[in-house]
Formats: sequence, structure tokens, C-alpha cells
Amino acid sequence: MRRIWRDKAALLAALVLAALLVACAAAPLYARLVSGTDPFRSNITGTIMLDGHATQVLQPSPGGLQLGVTPIGPSWHAQYLLGADGLGRDLAARLLYGGRTSLLIAGAATLCCLALATLLGIVAGYFGGIVDAILARLLDLLWAFPVFLLAISLSIVLISGGLQLGPLHIEADSLALPVSVIAVIFIPYVARPIRGQVITLQRSEFVLAAIGIGAPSWRILARDIMPHVATTLAVFAPLVMALNLLTESALSFLSIGVQPPAASWGTIIQDGQELLYTRPLVALAPGLAIVLVVVALNTLGDAFRDALDPQARLRGRG
Amino acid sequence: MAGRLPIWLLAGFAALQPPLAHAQLHRGGELRLLTHAASGTIDPQINYEGAFWQVFSITYDGLVAFRKAAGPAGNELVPDLAEAIPAPQDGGRTYRFRLRQGVRFSDGREVGVEDVAASFRRIFRVSSPTSGSFYGGIVGADACLKQPTDCTLAGGVAVDAARREITFHLAAPDPEFLLKLGLPHAAVLPADAPPLDVGVTPLPGTGPYRITRYDPQTALRLERNPFFREWSKAAQPEGYPDAIDYQFGLSAEAEVTEVENGQADGVLDTIPPDRLGEIGEAHAAQVHIQPELAISYLPMNTRIPPFNNLQARRAVAFAIDRAALVKLAGGPALAEPLCQILPPGLPGHEDYCPFTKSPGTHWSAPDLDRARELVRQSGTAGQRVTLITAATPAGRLMGEYLQELLRDIGYDAHVNSISNNIEFTYIQNTNNNVQISTSAWMEDYPAPSDFLRVLFGCASFHPSSDSSVNISGFCNQAIEAEMDQAMALAITDPDAANRLWAKVDRDITDLAPAAVLLVPHAVVLVSTRVGNFIYSDQFRWILSQAWVQ
Amino acid sequence: MAGAILRRLAQALFVMIGISIVVFLIFFATPGADPAARIAGRNASPQTLEQVRHEFGFDRPLPVQYALMMRRLFVTQDLTSFVNRGQRVVPTVMAAAPVTLSLVVGAAVIWVLGGIALGVAAALTRGTIIDRTLMALGMVGIAAPAFWVAEMMNLLTQSRLHDTWLFRWVPPLGYTKLSVDPGGWALHLVIPWCTLAILYIGLYGRVLRNSLIEAYREPYIRTARAKGLSETRILLRHALRTALVGFVSLFGLDFGALVGGGAVLTEVIFGLPGVGKLTVDALQNLDLPFIMATVMYAAIFVVLANAAVDILYAVLDPRVRHAE
Repeated sequence: MRRIWRDKAALLAALVLAALLVACAAAPLYARLVSGTDPFRSNITGTIMLDGHATQVLQPSPGGLQLGVTPIGPSWHAQYLLGADGLGRDLAARLLYGGRTSLLIAGAATLCCLALATLLGIVAGYFGGIVDAILARLLDLLWAFPVFLLAISLSIVLISGGLQLGPLHIEADSLALPVSVIAVIFIPYVARPIRGQVITLQRSEFVLAAIGIGAPSWRILARDIMPHVATTLAVFAPLVMALNLLTESALSFLSIGVQPPAASWGTIIQDGQELLYTRPLVALAPGLAIVLVVVALNTLGDAFRDALDPQARLRGRG
Repeated sequence: MAGRLPIWLLAGFAALQPPLAHAQLHRGGELRLLTHAASGTIDPQINYEGAFWQVFSITYDGLVAFRKAAGPAGNELVPDLAEAIPAPQDGGRTYRFRLRQGVRFSDGREVGVEDVAASFRRIFRVSSPTSGSFYGGIVGADACLKQPTDCTLAGGVAVDAARREITFHLAAPDPEFLLKLGLPHAAVLPADAPPLDVGVTPLPGTGPYRITRYDPQTALRLERNPFFREWSKAAQPEGYPDAIDYQFGLSAEAEVTEVENGQADGVLDTIPPDRLGEIGEAHAAQVHIQPELAISYLPMNTRIPPFNNLQARRAVAFAIDRAALVKLAGGPALAEPLCQILPPGLPGHEDYCPFTKSPGTHWSAPDLDRARELVRQSGTAGQRVTLITAATPAGRLMGEYLQELLRDIGYDAHVNSISNNIEFTYIQNTNNNVQISTSAWMEDYPAPSDFLRVLFGCASFHPSSDSSVNISGFCNQAIEAEMDQAMALAITDPDAANRLWAKVDRDITDLAPAAVLLVPHAVVLVSTRVGNFIYSDQFRWILSQAWVQ
Repeated sequence: MAGAILRRLAQALFVMIGISIVVFLIFFATPGADPAARIAGRNASPQTLEQVRHEFGFDRPLPVQYALMMRRLFVTQDLTSFVNRGQRVVPTVMAAAPVTLSLVVGAAVIWVLGGIALGVAAALTRGTIIDRTLMALGMVGIAAPAFWVAEMMNLLTQSRLHDTWLFRWVPPLGYTKLSVDPGGWALHLVIPWCTLAILYIGLYGRVLRNSLIEAYREPYIRTARAKGLSETRILLRHALRTALVGFVSLFGLDFGALVGGGAVLTEVIFGLPGVGKLTVDALQNLDLPFIMATVMYAAIFVVLANAAVDILYAVLDPRVRHAE
């Protein structure tokens, strides 16, 4: 374990991640003390003082036919650090608030997805035969499933005050919705590679040896197969996290889960779509945040895996 | 021997030259247009989308047409396939037209009175969307609406081939009948046109262009109609481009870039907001802006809480900061505030704005205090309100702003975005219990009833139906009587009728079944080589008159 | 062997039928999805609505409508769109298929080759700064929003830098057929290929790196070294083969999804009239015939791709083959 802390890159990654999490958690403090704006209120006709001049937050185009308005760009000061979005709200503050929601949704979805996918992948790969056939077809069905159709349908059903699933009542703004939808659609993405891995592992020498000496299935699974699957999971976790963060964007567009005026990195990306040619930072900033999280998780995952696995040496020295 | 010719003859020649040379000079070339998607069927009697009405205006003709000109002149009727516009007879129940001779369809056949009669029967046979609302007043239409396949319109449309006359008999006087004859749904088609939606197969028409190719995924192509001879410059002028090409499938951003690069001639979609500044500065000469005869408004359901309460509705109308919405739309060049139902430029419009800080003729500022007071008085404060908008970037922006506004005046407001193409039918159906939503309405023809009666008349309200354009569910008997009176008055005294319509406009506006927001402006971006840009309220950019060389 | 193929086919059919029923049910369970009013036109009278409902068969029970639609889609192949009337679904999808195939196959070549290069390089230089940088760069590609990357490409190549020597060769957005103009076909697709590949290279490089490191731990690698085989040979003939199992699983999933119409944003932003664009248009218009056709088209490829992957497992890993 101590080896992790000696890995400088991993240390850096952990620090970055921690800093991000703290910053997001401190979003209300930022909004109140630093930016001084309410990130959930529009500011269409407001002005701020920039370099001594009063500038409109949504600036009309200068010259020509005066068509269009452009939100102010990054001021690199406390107020509107990264500029404003299409409604004149402080982008930096919204980014921090958005981080809380996005990380929560994506984190929860990733955990569920990995857990379920591992279960399905191992069961299908290990037991083979008809179990595998059924599960593999189920995975095919899931992967070919028209998720967007379901999302559109769901968004309309939710309008009239929530979804009734038997005894369960789910409100339109319940975060359980995007978490479950996102988790489920990516299950095949992790389950199939795991299944493939288990199929090959089953035939590997140490497993055959274990079977030969009469070890019970659960023992084989726990001692011989799981560690390998765990390393695959360590690779997939950041990936799935990235995909989940991005998928959340599409769902927020249809008001599933995150409801206006609440922000998530996904809603900010959508807001940025209309501003790509004038203020690409609005769509880019959440994208960069996502990249940061994913790279950090990646590096940590690698370090973790390396630390747990001392005998993995590549070039046959020693 | 030009020197020997008399001066006056030479002068006469010189005077004649410019128009002829002009026409010759600019004739030819291909106009390349870009739009993100096709707009449905190319059956002119079924399609109800402005984008394709623009095409039909230069490929088909009716008995009368709207003058192909810009400004108010473009809202006037001129005779098209008819020789003259008749005065209504029999108290407004009978219209007799004489068909022009020598007009040919694009397949060479001459247009006859039988084609006209058959075209009107076809409106019902193909179940055109306006068969009931616009043409249901023709005698025999009732039977046709019940049994479209056997439609004969007996007693409604009578023809006399020898005198080339077509006579319409209406069950009740309709002062707008002539206006409705100028729409593509009343286009004259060959008598043997199939009695069903032709979908992607073009029908022969009488216009200067004919549709030669239509693939809804990729392209639409118009080429010159070889049998067209100009008979009325006002109604259907000869076209300049040899062909007009629509390319489908690009996003609006890509379209703007292509026209800027000179790779295409026109963008027919809404310009994305982040390109407006760019085109306004660097390509100002290529941009054409025109106020539309349309309104952007918020229908409020007058039959369920909280907006079944008049004060609640008026509160919303007072609270909206229309200047902020104009800014969101892209600035004063792209929209202007409006408080009343009828947009400027429509007959019957008289400036009126009661929902502002100092009520009068124009909007100046929102009155939030008054709005909050009204909400308090109404007793609806704190109620849950859900606003439905379309899931487009502009829709979302407007929706979030309006949600904040509704919260400011005292409601527990939520906003929900629905896929754009079903939002309009969703908000019409009373089963969905939509309290307030965003919508827009554009004129079909330039008459006040097209806004006031269609949007707020009792006959437009159909409970539990996806087609109930009176989204507010507004039905006021006194105002119905006023509207009937205005319709009757229009036959004898159009000016008095328009004044009465203005009063109806004020009455309905005061009762606030909807909060009107703005008048949108159309922005068209064309390439540097396009000249003679003429925009009519009725049919947008008149494509046949564009110069591409 | 034949039995296995038949069994797979039957299972594939089961998946497709399942999906089609799910689509049908979701569509009709959605409030506001009833197409009659949208087909009839704005402000249509109740009578007109009834006519349309009857003409299109919406007044018949759901199972009958389902059966009729399936028959028109597969047997008579004259199913038409609800939105663009007269536009036949099957020929339109068939015309869009080569576009998507061109885009996805080209991008796949780039990302597979790039991913293998990336994965091998990272595995060989494992633990060094090169490894970390390569992996980080790859992650950027995955985590960046797809539409942002595509629009930025357009912004640079079509708009801002269009007149420079860098991007003067970039043609206007769109697609030309390979049979008509091979040069134009390729030129139109170069930027979209790169854009799509960027999104996947990092992922595949990462997965391969991990699998390679795993593979090198196997006893048979030690045996091979003891036998005196060169490192290159060990890498190419032994380690890579087992390592590619994970790579291939993912590829089957991604390729299957993309070819079936998954590269939606890329197609839309670059103006390529492929199946992905058809899918998203159909969904936004709630055009049931097209939704049904595109979903089933996608399902076919998902099933085929996954079946192919299962076969590849046996090819790549002899142990699987021998154990069968």
C-alpha cells in the first residue's frame, strides 16, 4: 500500500481529485463569498463592472446590424471568473454546483453498473451453456435497446407528476432515474469483456489445475478469477465514469433527473451548444472537468492495480 | 443607318431597353438553398408547413393569388387563374369566376373549368387539414366531410365550360372566402390527380417552376416549367433562376458556414444565435430581416387551476419582462415586444398594451409589484405550476427564464421540455392538463380572424383531442357574438369590421387567456451573388425573383 | 457447427422480435405520441382526424397494428413514413447504410491501428512518463463531449481556417458515393473519420495495455522466453493474441452499435445522411415506421457483431478452441 504514495503521478492524481471534490462541495461558499452571484438566477439585463467600465452581462453585438447577443467571456476575476452562460449566470459557480450533481449521478451509476456487469459477466462466462446463451442474448437486447426512445417517452410520462411502478412512486426530479437508466445501458459494455475474460481464464492452467485438485467453484472464482477481473474493472471504472458523465448530458436535456434551474455538467454542456462559435468555453469547461476526473481516476486505478500486484514485471528482469 | 432614324424613335427604343435587358441579364443560373430537413408531403392540398408553401407559391396557382411583392402590397389579392376578382353576390354567398384561357399545366395540358371543380372536390377527398376549417362553408361540404370518398360538392361548385365560368355557392356569407382561395390548399390541379396524398410524387402545376425531384432525405429540385407563359406579373411573375435546388441534411451551423464560403446561396433555417453577431458584422449586406405576421405567446389553460383565475393570468402578463425575452431572442433586430393578440401589419391591428408599467399603446417595462399583488389577491399563490416548452436550445432558455419569473411572482414553478415535434400536439390535448406552455402562431392568410377566432373561438376547442388549437380553452359568448358581428360586417364595410376586430383584440387581450410575448423577425442569410431579394409576408422569400447572375 | 449457427440465428431472431415489441409498446404508451393529429395537420377538424385515424389503422387493436406494420416492413417492404408521406422506409434505410458503413469502417481502421499502437507502446514503456502521457491523452479523447469535438473540427476546417493551406482541401460538408467519385468520397470523410476515431483510440489503447500486462504474467510467456524466442515474437505471436480478447469484445460492441446507427452526432454535424441521422430524426419526429426500421437495423448489427466476437474468441485463444 505504501507503494502508492511513492508513485508521484498517483499522488498528484489523488490531490487533484480531492481538490475537485472539495471545490464542488464548497460550491455554496464560492457562490456567496467569491462570485457574489446567485448561479441559479438569470441575469439577462444586468451589468457588472469590468476594468472600471459597466459592461452588460449579455452584450449586444457591436457594429454592423447589431444582431445577436453574446455572454461575457472569462473575466479572470472573482465575478464571472469563466464568463457567463446564455442566461447570464456565472459559469464557474454553476460548474461547481454541477459537479456535485454529476459526480453523484455518475458515481452511483458507475458503481451499480460495475457491480451488475461483473455479476452477469462472471456467471455467463463461468457457467457457460444455456445460462450463457440466455444472459448473452439479454446483453444483446440491452445493447440494442432504443434508450433514447425510452428517454423521450419517460420524459413525457414524468411531466404529470412522476412515475408509478407498482408500489414505487418516483418523482420527476428523483436522481434515481438517471442513475438507473445510465447504469443499465452500460452493463453490456462491461459485462461482455468480463465474460470474454472469464471464458479464457477458465481454460488457463492455474484454473484447470485448481479444478484438477477438486477445488469448489466459489473458491476458484474468488481466488483465481476475481483478481483478474478486478484489474479489468480498475481499467473500466474511469471509462464508465466518463461515459456516464457524458450520457447524463443527454438525459438532462429531456428534464429527466436534473430539473431546471439546477445545474449539472451535462446541462451546462447543453447550454454551451448554442454558444460554440462565440463562447466555446461554456461547453468546454464541463468537458475539461470531466477529463480531469477521468484522467485522475485512471491514474489512481493504475497505481492501485500495480501496488496490489508485485509480480507483474514486463521485461523478464529478475 | 441609325443616324437617319428619328430621335423620338431612338429615344423610344432606349426607354424600352432597360427592363428587357434587365430580365435577360439576370435570367439563368441555379439557386442553391440549404435547409436541415424536408417538410413533409409535396401534395399542395395537404402540406401545411410554411417552408413548402414557399415552394408551392411558385409551382401552383389558384383562382386568385396574393401579390408577389414585399410589404403591405404582398397581402393584397390579385386575380391569378381567374380573369378578375369578382364582387361577392347574393349577400356574400356566391362568387362567379371566369377562367383565364391558354394556361397550361407542366405536362402540357390546358387548364379547364373541370380541373378547377375537381381540385375543390379533391380537397375533401384527400382529407386536407383545412377542408373543414377553411372550405367547410361551401354548399355540399358537410356531406364531403362525412364521406370524403364520394365527394361531389353538388350545389357548391358549378361550372360552365362554354363560358369558362366557375361559380361557388356558400352556405353562409364568408368575407374571407377569397383570401382562402389564394392558399396552396386551393391550388388548381389536373382533374385526374389521384384522390390520395401523393407523398413524394409531384403533381403537375401551372407555376413557372415544376418539381422534378423530391427525396425527403437529401434533395428537392425545381426546374422551369416549359409550358409557362407569364399572364400576370403581379400574381405569378416569370422566374429568373433556371433551377432551384434544396439540399437537406445539414445543421444550421454548417449551413451558415457554407453560405459564408459562397458554397450555397441561402439558409432557410433559423440562424443559430452564436452566428448572428458574425453575420451582422462581416456579412451585413447578405442579411435580410423582416418582421413576421406571427406571435410568440404563452397559452394558459383557463379551465384548470391556477389559471382559471383571471387575476392569476393577468399577473403573468404583467410580470413578463419582454425586453429580456427580446434579448434572449438576439436583440431588438430579431424580435419586438407585443402585448396583444394581433401582430402589427395585420388588418385590424391597433397598438394596445395594458400589461406594462404605464399602460397605453406600447410595452415599456414589466410591473412585478402589480403582478405579485394580483397573485396574492387571486388566492392562487404557492400553487404548483408546470410550464411545458419544446426541447430546443431556445425553448430551454425561455423556459428557464419563465420558470424563474413564475417563482418570483409566487408560484411553485417547474419547467418541462418535450421533444419539439410533439410539443404542439401535446399542449393542445386537455387530457394532459397542461397549465401553461410556450407556443407560436403564424398567419395562414392576412385576416384578424385567423388569429382571434382560430386561437380563441369556441369552435376551435375540442376536449380530449390532439387537435384543439384553442389551447387556452377560452370560450366567451359575448366575444363570440362580437366576432360573428365582425365577420358579417366585413362583407359590406371592411374598415368598420377591422375596427371591430381591433376591439375584439383588446377584449381578448384584457382577459389574458394567453400572455403574448413577442413578434419574431425572420432572418435570411443569402450569398453575395444573390440579388433582387423580395420577401412577402405570405410566402417569405419569393424564390422565383432571385437573381443568381 | 451448423447446429450452433442455427441456434445463434434463432436467438438473434428472438432478440429482434423482442426489441420490436418493446419499441411498439413504448411508442404507444407515451402520452402525446398518437400520430393522427400530426399527420392530419394543424387545426384539423375532428372528422378529418377520424379519417386519418381510420386510413392509417390507428383505430385497430395494437397487436393487429403491430402485425400489419411488421408485414409492411419485411414482407411487402412498402412501409412509409408518418412524417414525410410517401417516403418508403426500407429503400431509405438501405440508401443510408453505405454512408454509415463508410464512416464507421474508416474510423474503425484508424482507431484499431491507433489503439494497438498506443496500447503496445504504453505497455512496453510501462510506468514511465511516456506511458502516463499516452494514457492521459487517450482519456482526453474519450471524455471530451463528442459534439464539441465535431463542431470544433467544423469550426476550424470549414470556417476559421478554411482558407489556409491546412484545410483548403476540405470540401463542403456532405457525402459523395464511392462509386461516383472515390476521391471526393475520401476527402469528405477524412475529418469525420478522425473525429470519430479520436473518441475511441484512448479507450482501446488503455484496454489493450491492461490486457497485455496481464498476458505477460502468464506462465507460457516465461516458457517462451526460456526457449529463447525474441521479445518481438513473444509480443506479436503470443501476448498480443490473448490480450486482444478484451480488445475484440469491446470492438464488437462498439462497431456493432456504430454501424447500426450509433454515430449520430458525427453524422448530424458533418452532414452525412447515414442511418444514425435517420434514427435521430425519426426519434425527434416520433415517426414510428422509421423508429422501428432503424432500431431493428441496429439490432441486427449488434447481434451479428457479438456473434462474430464470440467466434473470434476461439480464433484468438487456442485454449478456448481446444476446450470446445
